[in-house]
This record gives sequence, structure tokens and C-alpha cells, in this order.
Amino acid sequence: MMHSEWGLGPLNLRPADDVMQLERLGSLHACRLSFVRSLMRQMGRQRWQVSRERFDLDENGYGTAIYRLQTPYGRYHGVMFAQALDDSRRSDRVIAEAWDVTFGLVEGDVDESLLEQMAANVPLQEAGRQHPRVLVLSRANKSLRNFAHFVEALAQGEQPDPQWLTRVGYLYRTTAVYGNGKFGIADFARLHENPDFRRPFSPQMASVYLLRHFSIEQVEHLARCQAPDTACALAIELRRYLGIGNSTGLGMAPFLINHPQLIAQWVNQRETALALTQRQAPSEEDRQRMIALTQRAHQHLSETVTEDVEQTQRNAETVASLPDVLVWLENAPLADDLWAQLTAWSERTLSLEAQELINTLLIELYPELVDPLEEQMGVTENLDLQPDMPLIHLRQLIETHYSWALAHDYQSREGSYWFWYRSVEKEEPRLGVRHEEAGAEKEMLIAMGPRVAHSHAAICEFLEDNPQAKVVDFLLTKPRHKEIIRRVQTLVKDTYGDIHANLWHQDMKPMHLLRTKLAFFGASRFDPKSDRWVRITLFQGAPLVEELNAEPQDLGHFDNWGFPLQPQFENGTVAPAGLSPQAEPMAALEGHPSVHGERS
Amino acid sequence: MKVSFNELQGLCRKAFTGIGFEDGDAADAADMVAWMQCHGFNAVDQLNRGLDFLLEEDPESLPKVIYQDGDLAVLDGHGQSVLRSISLATELGFAKARARGLSVVKIRRCHNRQLIMGYLSRLAGRGINITAFWRNAQVPLTEQVVGFRAGHPTPEVRIYSVRDVPQENEPNDGITLVMANHVELLPSLGADHDLDLLARHSESDLMAHRERSLHEGIEVDDAIWARLKSLAHRILVESSDGSRSGAGAGVNDND
Repeated sequence: MMHSEWGLGPLNLRPADDVMQLERLGSLHACRLSFVRSLMRQMGRQRWQVSRERFDLDENGYGTAIYRLQTPYGRYHGVMFAQALDDSRRSDRVIAEAWDVTFGLVEGDVDESLLEQMAANVPLQEAGRQHPRVLVLSRANKSLRNFAHFVEALAQGEQPDPQWLTRVGYLYRTTAVYGNGKFGIADFARLHENPDFRRPFSPQMASVYLLRHFSIEQVEHLARCQAPDTACALAIELRRYLGIGNSTGLGMAPFLINHPQLIAQWVNQRETALALTQRQAPSEEDRQRMIALTQRAHQHLSETVTEDVEQTQRNAETVASLPDVLVWLENAPLADDLWAQLTAWSERTLSLEAQELINTLLIELYPELVDPLEEQMGVTENLDLQPDMPLIHLRQLIETHYSWALAHDYQSREGSYWFWYRSVEKEEPRLGVRHEEAGAEKEMLIAMGPRVAHSHAAICEFLEDNPQAKVVDFLLTKPRHKEIIRRVQTLVKDTYGDIHANLWHQDMKPMHLLRTKLAFFGASRFDPKSDRWVRITLFQGAPLVEELNAEPQDLGHFDNWGFPLQPQFENGTVAPAGLSPQAEPMAALEGHPSVHGERS
Repeated sequence: MKVSFNELQGLCRKAFTGIGFEDGDAADAADMVAWMQCHGFNAVDQLNRGLDFLLEEDPESLPKVIYQDGDLAVLDGHGQSVLRSISLATELGFAKARARGLSVVKIRRCHNRQLIMGYLSRLAGRGINITAFWRNAQVPLTEQVVGFRAGHPTPEVRIYSVRDVPQENEPNDGITLVMANHVELLPSLGADHDLDLLARHSESDLMAHRERSLHEGIEVDDAIWARLKSLAHRILVESSDGSRSGAGAGVNDND
């Protein structure tokens, strides 16, 4: 998108030295450009329809289910295999070998032959050979406590207390969602011309959305099997409040580093959205909407539960600061640059996580400006060399754009503490302590800081004898610097590509890397289980399949589901939280069965 | 077995890293093999035949510039596979063509020459016209001409047999690259040439083959795949109780 379309001159984007600080990236929240949000908008706008094609589950909930996803352009099928799993085998790690449910999203129809092939291979996940029409391969484990409680409550004709979903917001959590050719499935390149799924990670998110629907249908099925006379369906507010979990470890880190142009594109769109918003002169209505969003986010974060001490502290700081934000919003004069004033004030007074929350909420205000950016989230990745560049110019570029990399000490013990590697156990990414643990010689080269510094030193030395040299002259002598040089040459044009941190440093927090990517996915309820392992929730609060199938008229309302709130629960009746969008009358749901004790 | 493009590219990159390629060379070599295989050139078989050779190469023996001026360069490939570091020789041609309008680069003594097409595709995508030419010494003497139009990452390829073999002792183990900013350098064969056309791969044929590969998967021999996996295994670190905790997670998630 050309910013000049607005006729207001170039946008003032925040500098990469601020935005790409690891701690700031690790403070991002899901926003309206996150993939689950943009997928839901696309599904609603284009009238996607989901229907159940097969539901062959036994009385234990094991068996096969198939859901059809019909778009204006094509037809897809989510194929789910639910199986018994011994508790001793239930692990969220990539080294697991069996799961409660495994599933795939297929392009086109699923005939018996394909179903047979999938039944033999999808449950094996990485150990199987998958069909090239499978777009996404994934698996999930139950939240045992939630699952058992939900089945028990529904079987008795009662609704589970919404607090269960506040503590753990799902019945299933995925432990890997594979796309792009893994284990024989379709390459992402094949989807470049596909209007349904050409955006990054959109087929993966669609698969997770179908799993969410399956999880609801499965618990209701189990409740019916247990007590056909008393069982009821899950109340609509609870269905909506139910998301899908994801359990994620260090595997996300290499992706962030190995796809710098893609990351730059994502960050650039988010920063563009923020800059576009900041220069809007707000109306009183805009201000009131910002206040309402802040109140909802405040309640959402107040309700968010995690056992992690640091994340609890970060949430508490944000929650504590939001009343001040509300006071500021309610009392500041309605100036044309109100939003720029707000961000400047927040940068001076609030924690990073609260600052980025304000930015996330601001991005919500002007969908007509921001939503077109979701079409720009993809990129053709090519780290190309510029061999004819004068070497002195490359040196200058490094010193200008990579000063962060040159500033670190990579010789000290703390500055070179960690090394990243892949284990023989299913290539699981791990961190080891250099000089203490074996394997440093097989280190994954994802710490860019030391590599840039090393190349810079070699360039400086070469220039002493060859001041007129071109990049290719240097590389023909020192070819090992090729990869880092073409990365630098590319990313000085895409400055949000490299994360400004020493990923070797003892104080480096891998959790920030995980959160960066998960925020763009649209994750909420960040619940770290260690410094390098996190559970999150996707699609909590998102419109339901039945709401999608009803072809929503009010797409703004349909899309208004960020920062979901715990529904009210009194005398066994579930109702929307007071601050939730569903507390308002919703035309699309008129005529829907009662929310309480609905007999199935 | 059928594999995806991304899978082939990813495994090759790991395998080349396992062999000892530098990071950038491993990425380029993997791109070359996957690009070729996806366009129907059986690169995996070629790679397999050259693997023992690759494993014995001296990684410090780099392509060396024997002569160069503004328009022309001659390099010695030291008898190595084009998969290792030869991309820089092509980049030298690119830099000269950018500066002078047209360049000629001759790379002497190199193997697996056909695989260089995979890298030339990238250069063409960056907006340069390219012709690559080489002869094979088998009987009959054949020559291969590969032409890329600037901005088109898919080439036109011709393979000819030469009827009258010249009486000379020059070895046929090199590649000639011609690059030009503004001149198309596509293969063409006049009626009076002393050559027989053995094979012709048009740009559209190759693009169609790529489409098929993406839709149906790429057929790869199981044994070769296993060999690549075994080489890729070299980059992995043995597991221990201590290293298991390095992932930062528990081992059981019944909650």
C-alpha cells in the first residue's frame, strides 16, 4: 500500500532500534491484524460455511469426524481422528508419539481411498507420509480436567462454570500445527494463487478453528452417550468463550530468525497500522470506543490466570496502569493529535506490555485504514546478494543498521552463554550452556549478532588492503560470510527483519521470541510454563460456526471479539459479561435456542 | 516416495550442512537441487552420484580467479562440484554485467554442472539475461545451452549432439556464462548448424512441470532419501537427560 494514498506524506514509523528490541517484541499482544482475527473477518465477509460430513465417534468419543469448509472459491475438509491415549504418553513436546486427536485440512474432497490413507498416516504425524492434498497436519491433547468436568456437567444437564475456561480456555491444545510441505503435505507455494489461503498461516488457523468446533461437538456427544435423558448442549456463551490451546517451545525461535523478511513484513504492517491511526484526528465517538476497548482489555487481563511469577507480575502492572490510561483518555482535550499524545505519554509512563496494549487497542479504531494491510502480510522471501556493492558501503550499512550487533561482547562467558541446537530426538530445538554441555560444535546459527560482528571485523580487515573492493571480491576470498552479507544487504531495506538482541546472552529470554510469533498468530492468555515453554489460547471469544453459517450482516460486530471476557454465571445460567460485545442485542442470534439447559 | 518441495529443500540443506558446507553454501546447494528436481531434471540422482565425491572434497579448496578484467573472468573450480561455492563465480559475472552491460565468465574444472541452473534462476530473477553453455565429453559429444530471460526464473534449455568432433585436447569440464543487462541470450539453432537437437525444454514446459511437482509431490528414491537423512543426522546433538531439560518443558502433560 502506498502511504501517499492518504495524501499526508510518508508515515512516521517507529525506528527498528525501538520496535525490534527483544523485550518489546516479547510484550506484543494479539491485534486486529493477527492471523486468527483476519481469518475470521475473511470467513465472515466471504460467507464461508462449515458443515459436518461425518461424525463416527463411539461412546468414548473415539473415531473419525469430517467437516466441510466451503468458500466461494473452493472446498476443503477437516479430517479428525480421535483415539484413546494412555496418560503416560500424553506429552505436549514434539518428542511425543501419540495424541488424543490428530487431524488434517484437505484441499478438495475426501474419498474413501484418501480417508484410508489419512487414517493410516495422520495419527502417526511426523512418522507418517502425508498426502500432497493435505494442507495442514496437526495434533492436540486434551485438557483432562476441563474435558472431564465439561462432559460430567453437560451429562447432568448443567452448564460448567465459566471459571473453568478462565483458568484454562480450551478443551484441546495443539502441540504442533504443520504446514508448508512438512512430511509430504502441500507446499505453501502451491497456495500463492489461492484466494482462500494465500495469507501466511491462514490454513493452519482454519484447521485450529475446525478443531474448536469439533471439541464442542465431541464433549456434547460424550455427554449424550453418558446420559441421553439429561444431557444438554453447551451454552452459546461458553461455546464462544472456549478456544483452542497451543503448547509451544523453542521451535518457534528458529522460524523467527530464518524468515526475517516475513517477520519484517508482519511488523511493518503493524507499525503502519499504528502510524496511520496516530495521525487520525479522533471524534468523541472514537474516544469513547477507545475507552470501551480499554475497559474490556482491563477486565480481560484482570481475569487472566497464570502460575508464572514474572508473567503474573507483568499482567498485574498492566492491569494497575489501565485506570490511569482511562483517566487520561477521559480528561485529555480532544486534540487532533490525541492518539500521538497518548502513545507519547504511554512511552514515558507505562511498562512495555502496557504500551503495546495501548498500541493494539489504537489499531482497533479505524478498520477501514488498517484492514487492507492484512493483504500485505505475505512476502516472497529471497535473501539476494548485491555482489557489485562497494565493500566500504556494506561496512557503512552494517555500522548504521547493525550497531546493536556490534555493541555486544561475544567473548565473555555471559555474552556467549547459550548455544541453540537440534536434538536427535525428533530434531527438537534446545538450548545448551556453552563450555558446559556437549554439542556446541553443531550449534544452530540463529544468533545473528555475533555473526554480523564477525563479518564486520573480516570486512574491515580486508578493506585495509583492498579499499576499492566490491562485495564479490571479498566473498571470493572469504566465502563463509556470504549468508550474513546477503542477509544484511536485504534487511537494511526491511529494517524490521532482525531482532536486536544477543541470542547467546545469559540474560536472553527465549519466551520473548515465542511471544513475538504467537502474538501475530492471535494468541491470548500467555501462560509460560518455564522460561522457554508457553501455553496460549487461540480463538477464545471468536464467533462460532453457527454464527458464521448464519451469514452475519453486521461484520463489525462479528469481528469484535478481542480480549474475551468470562461470561456471567448465576443459578446455573450463563450470560454474556457486561462489557462484552454480546451484552448488546445481536440480530444475528435472534431465534437461536435458549442458552441455558438446551436439550440436545 | 513422494516428497514436497519444501521437504526436499530442507533435507538437502541439512544434509549439505552435515557434509560440512558453510551455511550460505548449504542453502544455495539445497535450492539448486530442489529447483532442478522440481523442474524435472533428476537432480537428486545427480546429487546421489556425486555424494561420495562431495564428501571427499577439500572445503578449503575454493574456486580461484585465474584472470579477470572489467568484462571477463576465468576461474579454476579445482574439480569440485558446482554445489560448493560456485555461486560466487556466477555472482562475479552478475557484478561485471551490471557494471559493463555484458560479461563473460568461464569456470574451468567443475562437476555437477547442470545443477548450476538452479542458482542462475535466482540471478535471472534479479533482472539479468543469461546464457550458460557447456559440453560433455561422452560419445557422442553433447552440448547444453541454457538461456534465461531477465526477470524470468525459468529457462529455455537445449541439448545438442555435435556431429563433427573437433580435433583438440581441451577438456570439456568447464562452464561458460554470458550475462547481459539488455540483450536476450536464448538458445537458437539455425538450419545449417552441424548439430542434432537431442532435447528441448521450453520455459512453459518447465513451468508446467513445476506446477505438477507442487500439486502431486516430487518422486524421490527411498534409498537416496535415507542417505540424505543420514547426512542430515550429523547436525543433530545426542540426547541426554540434561539436554531434554534444555527444551524447557515437562515430559507429561496430564492436566
